[in-house]
Amino acid sequence: MGLYEFLEKNSIYLVLIIALIVWFSVFVYLVRVDVKLKKLEDEFAKLENKEEVGK
Amino acid sequence: MIWKFLLGVYIAIITVLAFVIPIGFIPGLGERARIIFLHVPSAWLSVIAFFVAMIYAVRYLRSKNIYEDVKSAASAEIGFLFCFVTTVTGSIWAKFNWGSFWNWDPRETSIFVLLLIYGAYFVLRSAIEVEERKATLSAVYSIIAFVTVPFFIFIMPRIMPGLHPGSKGDPEGAGPVVTFKMDPNMRILFFASLLGFTLVYLWIFKLRSRMEILKIKIQNKIYQEV
Repeated sequence: MGLYEFLEKNSIYLVLIIALIVWFSVFVYLVRVDVKLKKLEDEFAKLENKEEVGK
Repeated sequence: MIWKFLLGVYIAIITVLAFVIPIGFIPGLGERARIIFLHVPSAWLSVIAFFVAMIYAVRYLRSKNIYEDVKSAASAEIGFLFCFVTTVTGSIWAKFNWGSFWNWDPRETSIFVLLLIYGAYFVLRSAIEVEERKATLSAVYSIIAFVTVPFFIFIMPRIMPGLHPGSKGDPEGAGPVVTFKMDPNMRILFFASLLGFTLVYLWIFKLRSRMEILKIKIQNKIYQEV
């Protein structure tokens, strides 16, 4: 039995796959936001340090 | 970063188990009882978020530190989002269990009122421009709003007869869903799911708070340069 036929007969697993895709997308989005935010925070901290040294 | 990947795997495992784990026979609910693994933790997450919003509101009133205010608002935002998710998922479930998307059951009514209460919180915040005044008033509102949360989430739906599992005089005999009468598999997965959702909340809350704090720092920098 192919995957398509299996999912057609056992639709609960189709819902499971969709739920996993939704969770995975949310997870990837959160990781991306986290990484970008960290980069911005580091750049801002560097800028502040430079200004303090300049004074 | 490693704990975040582990959390991703943990949530994926819970999601898979939520669909495949044997839960035993539950009168009146059957397989539809599996919603408990995702719907109830969403509601739980919103309660935690509203509680944290209240804690930071108290901290703001004590310290007058604007960072405490933005953290309080960030937590209330997450709470509102998940309260909405709980309402939508519950409504879809209700269509298949009770025959209609909305029945004004005590549980549905209470979550609707809660959405209105916290919706008004954001209206209040957006209506005031002076930062300090906005922070003070919304902190007071957040504290008062949270007083209603235990009543609307835990008390009112349990003391009134209704359709929702766990209501007073549950006709199907399904009993409250969140009790120790649950099948042992179901119980373990349910609490594991609560833990997973709590950790997801902590992550999102941390991200939102860091973002708002950075925004304030950048704004201050711009004012200093002008």
